[in-house]
Amino acid sequence: MTTVRLVAAVYAALLLLAFVAGLPWLPAAVCLAALAAIGELWLRALTGEGMPPVHRIGLATAAGLVSLPLVTLTLHVGGIPIGPRSVAIGLAGLVTLLGAVVLVRERATGAAADPRLPRMIGAVVLPASLTLIAGFLALQAYDRLPHPPQPGYMSVALTGWAAEIDRPVAIPAHGLHVRLRVSSAGLPAATAPLRVRVGARLVAGRPLAVAPDATDAVEVFVPAPPDGCLHRIEISLGTTSTVFYGRGPAKC
Amino acid sequence: MTLTQPAVEEGLARAVASPPETPAPASRRPALACTATLVVTGLAGSALLVAANRAAEWDTGDQFGLFWLGLLVFTLPAVAWLVRHGSSARLRVAVLTAYAGFTYLPKLLRTPDGPLYHDEFAHWRQAHQILLDGRLFEQNPIVKVVGDFPGLHSTVASISALTGVSIWHGALFVLITAHLLVVLGVAVLAEEIWQDGRVAAVAAVLYSLNSSFLFFDTQFGYESLAIPLLVWTLVALHRAMRGPAGRARLGWSAVTLVLSAATIATHHLTALGLLGVMLILCAVATARALRRSHPRAVTWTAWVLTGSAAVLVVTYLAVVAPRTAGYLDPYLAKALDQVAGMAGSSGSGKRTLFRESIAPWWERYAAFGAQGLAGAAMAAALWRLRYRRTGDAVSRTGALAMLVLGSLYFPAALLILTPSGAEGARRSWAFSYLGIAVVVAPVVVALLDHATRRTARVAVAVALLAACTVGLVGNTAAGMNPSYRFPGPPVFGSDTRSSTPEVAAASAWLHETQGRDLRIVADRYSGLIFGSYGEQRPVTGSQSFRTYDLYLAQPDQDIPPRLIEQLSSWKFGYLIVDRRMAREVPEIQIYFETNEPVPHDGRPAFTLGQLTKFDRTPWTIKIYDSGNIAIYRFDFSSYRARR
Repeated sequence: MTTVRLVAAVYAALLLLAFVAGLPWLPAAVCLAALAAIGELWLRALTGEGMPPVHRIGLATAAGLVSLPLVTLTLHVGGIPIGPRSVAIGLAGLVTLLGAVVLVRERATGAAADPRLPRMIGAVVLPASLTLIAGFLALQAYDRLPHPPQPGYMSVALTGWAAEIDRPVAIPAHGLHVRLRVSSAGLPAATAPLRVRVGARLVAGRPLAVAPDATDAVEVFVPAPPDGCLHRIEISLGTTSTVFYGRGPAKC
Repeated sequence: MTLTQPAVEEGLARAVASPPETPAPASRRPALACTATLVVTGLAGSALLVAANRAAEWDTGDQFGLFWLGLLVFTLPAVAWLVRHGSSARLRVAVLTAYAGFTYLPKLLRTPDGPLYHDEFAHWRQAHQILLDGRLFEQNPIVKVVGDFPGLHSTVASISALTGVSIWHGALFVLITAHLLVVLGVAVLAEEIWQDGRVAAVAAVLYSLNSSFLFFDTQFGYESLAIPLLVWTLVALHRAMRGPAGRARLGWSAVTLVLSAATIATHHLTALGLLGVMLILCAVATARALRRSHPRAVTWTAWVLTGSAAVLVVTYLAVVAPRTAGYLDPYLAKALDQVAGMAGSSGSGKRTLFRESIAPWWERYAAFGAQGLAGAAMAAALWRLRYRRTGDAVSRTGALAMLVLGSLYFPAALLILTPSGAEGARRSWAFSYLGIAVVVAPVVVALLDHATRRTARVAVAVALLAACTVGLVGNTAAGMNPSYRFPGPPVFGSDTRSSTPEVAAASAWLHETQGRDLRIVADRYSGLIFGSYGEQRPVTGSQSFRTYDLYLAQPDQDIPPRLIEQLSSWKFGYLIVDRRMAREVPEIQIYFETNEPVPHDGRPAFTLGQLTKFDRTPWTIKIYDSGNIAIYRFDFSSYRARR
C-alpha cells in the first residue's frame, strides 16, 4: 500500500475509534490494524529498506504497540489528560509526522513494495483468527458447565449515620436508633440472634430472620449507657458484630 | 521460513534483506492437511484443557493429566509440521501463529474475567486509574514501582479507551499479541543468526519450554510486554550490526533505540536484562574483533547502541523511577544472604522444592529432568559451535553471545533453592532460555537430519519430542505452583485462590459507603482486592512501616506508639482483619510481605485473640464484619485521649 493510502486509512480508523461507540469487538480489530499500520509507518520512516515479511509484520506490530505509551507519555508531559479523544488525536499527530518523513524519504529513494507481504499477513491472520475462535468456544463451554458453589457469608455493617461514626457517640437519655445493613450470600435462609450489649450488659435481644441472597436494613435501638464514661456498644447478629463506643448523658 | 540470504564477510556493506521474489507455485495439499490436523487437534486440545480446569474445580485430581494431554495433543503435531522438511516459510509462520495462540489458552481459561495473579491486580488498578484520572505515574499500593513503568498499563488503558472494551479485555488484546510477538520474535532472531527456517522454528518451540512461557509471561504483568520488546530489540540490533553501512545501519540503529526505550519504560528487570544481553554481545564482538575475525564497524555499532541503551536505562532509573533500586535491592541482598547460609554448615536459608505441593510425582521428576536435559543440550550446542563454524561474522557473534546467555541459566538454578532468590531466578530464565533455545535449535535439526533411515528418523523424532515434553512439563511445574495453574476450592494465603465472594463484598461495601483512595492497613491477600477492585490504597507493611505489628501485638500488649503516630500522621483511616490468619497457614508462606518478621513453622502465626483484640480497643470502631473479614475505622483521637 502506498504511504498516502496507509496514512489515510489510519486517519479513518482513528476517526472511527474516537467517535463511534458500541460494537466493542469491531473497534478492537480496527485498533489492531491501525496500530500495525502505524508500526509500518515507523519502519518506512526509520529503515526505509526492504526486509523479510515476518520481520516486517513483527516489527510493525511491536512498533505500533509502543506508539501508545509514546503518545500517552507525551500527553502526560504536556499535562493533557489521557482519554479516547486525546489518544486518537495524539496518534493522528504521530501518523502525520511519520507520514511526512516517509514521503520525504520516498521522494529521494523511491518506495519498495514486497509482493510476499499480503500472503504472509494472511498466514498470520488466518491461524490467529482460528485460534481466537477456538479460545472463544473453549471459554463459552467452560462458562456453561456447572461450577462448584462459592463459600457463602453473612455480613453486618453500620449504615446510615452510623456508618460515619469516627469517635465515641454521645447517646441521649432516650437512647438512639442505629441502622444496620444485613447481607447474606450463598447461604440458606436462617434465623440468628440479634443482640445489643452496652459494656458487658446485654440490653436487648431478639431473633432475626435472614433471607438468602438478600441485603436488608435493620434498625436497632441502643439505650443510653448508665453514665458519661466510655462504654463499648456491640450489636451482634449470630457470630458477626459491629462495635462502637458511646457515653451516656449522666456524669462519669 | 528462510527469507534472508546468508551474508558473506565482505558482503556486509550490501543490503541483506532478501529481494522480493515471485511466489513459487506450490501445492496447497500440505497447507490443507496441516490446517485440518491442527484444527482437529486444536479443538480436541481445547476440550481437554476445559476438562482439566473442570477437574481442578471439582477437585477430582485428574487435572494434571488432562492438562498435559490437552496441551500435547495440539503442540506435538504442530512441532512436527514446523520441523518437516517440506513445510514452506508461510506454512511455518502460520503454524507458529497457531502455536502461540493455542499456548495462550491455558492462561485464558485460568483468568477469563479479570485479574487473578498478584501483579495482575497492580496493573489492572494502574490501567483503571489512568482511565479514571487521565494521568500516568500514579503510585501503586500493591507493587510500589509499577506506576513508574507505564508501558503496559498505558497501552492497555489506551486500547480500552479507544475501543470501549473493558480493561481486562484490552489487556487480553495486548497480551495475546505480545505472546505471538515472542514466538515470532524468537524465530526471527534465530533466523537472523542461523539463516535457516527450520532451525528458527525449532528455536521458537524450544523457547516455549521455559518455565514462564505458559503462565507467568502471559499474565497482565509488565514482563509480558517487555520480553517481546526485548526479543525484537535484539532482532533490530542484529540488523543494525549487519549493516549495510550508511542510512540503513542508521535506520536499524534508530529502531533498536526506539524498542530499547519502550522496553525500559515497560519493565525494570527486562530493561536490565536487555542491557546484559547487549553487553554480552558487545563483549563477544570485541573479543572476535581483537582476533580479527570480525569487522570493526560491527563491533562499534554494537557498542554505540549498547552505550546508548545504557544511558537510557540509567537516566530512566535515576530520573523517572528512582525507587526501583530500593525495591529490587532487598530481594537480591536477602537471596545472597540465603545462598551464603546454604553454603554454611547450618544450611539455613534453604528452600525445599515442591514442599507441600500437590503436583504429581511425574511433574516433580520432570522438573529435575528438565535441568539435566538443558545441561546436556547446552553441552551439545557448545560442541557443535566449537566444531561447526557456519554463517557470517554477525551470525557467529550472535550465536556465541546466545551461548553465554544460555549458560547463565544454570547459576540461577542455585538461587531457586532460596526463598528470596527463587522469584528472581524464575524471572531470569525467561532471558537465559532465549540463549538456550537459539543455540540448541541447530543441534535438534542436525540430529533429525543425521538419521538417514526412516526408522532411525522416527526414533530420533520421538526421542526429541519426548525430551521437549519433559522440558515443558518440568519447567512449567518448577515455575508455577498448581494454584496459579488451575482453579479450585478457596485456599487461604494463595494469591489466586484466597479471593472469595466474602472479601470482594467487603471491598465493594467499603468503596460504596466510604469512597475510594482511602488509606487502609491490610494483609497481602485482602490488600490485593481492596487495592484493585476496591480502588483503595492498602499498605501491607515493610521494614520502615511495620503495620504488621498491629496484628502481631498480643491482646494485653500496647501497639508501638511510633506506629500509631505514623498511621495517624499519614492519615490511615481503616484496618482490615482477615481472621483466617488465625486458623490457617498461608499457602505461599506469606501473610504480609516477603521479609515479614512472622514465624513460619507450619502453624498459624496468629491467635484469634490477636486478631479480635480490635473489638475491644476504643480507638478501633468495627464498622463491618462478615465472619472472616472485619473492617475497623481508626479513631486516633481516642487513642491519644486514653494515653
